[in-house]
Amino acid sequence: MADLPQYAGSDSAMRVALRWGLYLMLAVFAAFYLLPLFVMVTTSVKSLDEIRSAGLIGLPRDITLEPWQYAWSQACIGVQCEGIAPFFWNSVRMAVPAVVLSTLLGALNGYALTKWKFKGSNIVFAMLLFGCFIPFQVVILPMARTLGILGLSNTVTGLVMVHVVYGMAFTTLFFRNYYVSIPDELVKAATIDGAGFFTIFTRIMLPLSPPIIVVCVIWQFTQIWNDFLFGVSFASNTGSPLTVALNNLVNTSTGVKQYNVDMAAALICALPTLLIYVLAGKYFVRGLTAGSVKG
Amino acid sequence: MASLTIRNLKKRYDSLEILKGVNIAAKDGEFLVLVGPSGCGKSTLLNMIAGLDTVSEGEIVIGDRVVNNVHPKDRNIAMVFQSYALYPNMTVRQNITFGLEIRKTPAAEQAAAVEKVAQMLQITHLLDRKPSQLSGGQRQRVAMGRALVRDPQIFLFDEPLSNLDAQLRVEMRTEIKKLHQRLKTTIVYVTHDQIEAMTLATQIAVMKEGVLQQLADPQTVYEKPANMFVAGFIGSPSMNFVPATVVQDGNKLAVSIEKVGSQGKAMNGHRLVLPLPAGFAGAADYVGREVVFGIRPESLTQYSAAEAAGNEAAHAFDCEVDVLEPTGADTLTFISLAGAEVVARVRPGHAAPPGEVMKFMVDMSKANLFDAGTKMRIQ
Repeated sequence: MADLPQYAGSDSAMRVALRWGLYLMLAVFAAFYLLPLFVMVTTSVKSLDEIRSAGLIGLPRDITLEPWQYAWSQACIGVQCEGIAPFFWNSVRMAVPAVVLSTLLGALNGYALTKWKFKGSNIVFAMLLFGCFIPFQVVILPMARTLGILGLSNTVTGLVMVHVVYGMAFTTLFFRNYYVSIPDELVKAATIDGAGFFTIFTRIMLPLSPPIIVVCVIWQFTQIWNDFLFGVSFASNTGSPLTVALNNLVNTSTGVKQYNVDMAAALICALPTLLIYVLAGKYFVRGLTAGSVKG
Repeated sequence: MASLTIRNLKKRYDSLEILKGVNIAAKDGEFLVLVGPSGCGKSTLLNMIAGLDTVSEGEIVIGDRVVNNVHPKDRNIAMVFQSYALYPNMTVRQNITFGLEIRKTPAAEQAAAVEKVAQMLQITHLLDRKPSQLSGGQRQRVAMGRALVRDPQIFLFDEPLSNLDAQLRVEMRTEIKKLHQRLKTTIVYVTHDQIEAMTLATQIAVMKEGVLQQLADPQTVYEKPANMFVAGFIGSPSMNFVPATVVQDGNKLAVSIEKVGSQGKAMNGHRLVLPLPAGFAGAADYVGREVVFGIRPESLTQYSAAEAAGNEAAHAFDCEVDVLEPTGADTLTFISLAGAEVVARVRPGHAAPPGEVMKFMVDMSKANLFDAGTKMRIQ
């Protein structure tokens, strides 16, 4: 509150009461949103007996990490009882290359669309932009057919390709809007200095791009890691990403419903995106609002 | 170093013609300034010389090579941009050597070249800083350093001083001029500031709406402007234009100007007749016709008997003062002649207060006459 402007006459009792009322309301909303997370975290460290006797809500009496271990390496997904670990690595193998490739392609597209304008470049951009608004469901059948023709059905490579193609629309939009604010004169100066298309890209544009790269990486990683539909449609059983495995884990019934294991698995699934937000979140906001590059 | 020739150069964007056939020749070592109001095509012309824009018609020749289809990097030119266009991610040293590095100049040679240029521009202590850590004037120097280090045939400057504050602009102006005197490399310099044009140029090209109005040395442009546009654009305050008639006055030609009183009423019989000096041969064709009489403020001063005696082109007249604007060095005195507002440059202390009649002196040897229809100067 230290940086709130201190206007004269702004500290009357009425105003102070209003202010505290506002904070109270915000606190209630925050608690409401955090409640499911609270239930998940507490349940994941309770033993099954405790859940049965004390119910879902309430602090755990004894904290145990057993459900986490079980979820990671022993839980049964379908007929396979190796936990979610293999599927976690499936997701990593899918998400990392897909994020890197789509970000790079977005940067290249954005650079070409702003600094090397060609006849119809605005139409190309508009069409790419249209890609942002196409729902997943629409592309599933044609994409399945395409993957079949390319011989990439049920492979991680195929999933990477799907995510790169689908993500390119967003990354291009991000980079294009960022590069528009970089003065064209930089490119002209470099051209006279003798640099070509790719030299200017790697030596001048990319070094100026970290803020928007962070935005793209967070956005793409979250999208790809959390995707369920493409994963369930285009991956084989053993090759499915973590989200699909999680669904199968919860739906696999071996008699008793192990709520604590389900919760632990769900948290493991959510951790990587959470981690990225924590590490790069401040750059995310900065990158989204980044304006011109002051030379 | 090289000469620059531009032959019948045209630039079209779809149906819009930006440059309408420009012809310019600049000798080796010339300081050519392209000047004009915004939208006159001067920056387009510079970009075309640099190769950053294509030629629709005509030829650009650097040295004896037609460069219409030569890539910017192969034209052997260097350019300083209005925004400086320093690479923000590189240090000053890297900014200066970037062009050399791309051209694969040996590292030792690069280092020597940077040292030389940095010393010349006094930026040695800034070499390891990033552009964001520099002031406007320092960025300007670095931008010039980046151009200088390549030792090009022609320097191109695109309004390089317009982002600086007034004082720094004057300092850098002098420095650019010194640099040119030392290097003697051909420079093409774009500006909208007529004072910059006058002070820097060896040749001024005044442009308007894609048409070259006049190409001459600064003094000629100032004293004998090709038309009323050039006359009004160059000089501050600009040239006075007064409607007048050419008359035969004995065996001489003269201009006759109607004097108008402060109420705007024509004062019948009060015509100011100013004899024209020799050298206005063209005026003979205009006897009895309306023309525009052009006179610069400094050629219209307070009457001084001593000065009048020494200059037979000097003529005195009386007129009522409307407004005074003291500038310190001179007092700009506004009067009305033939309905037009006219500014005289009067020494402080000699100006009469507004509303009173004062005796002025006009130096007719500095007068210009323009055709009222075509706006062209009458020779």
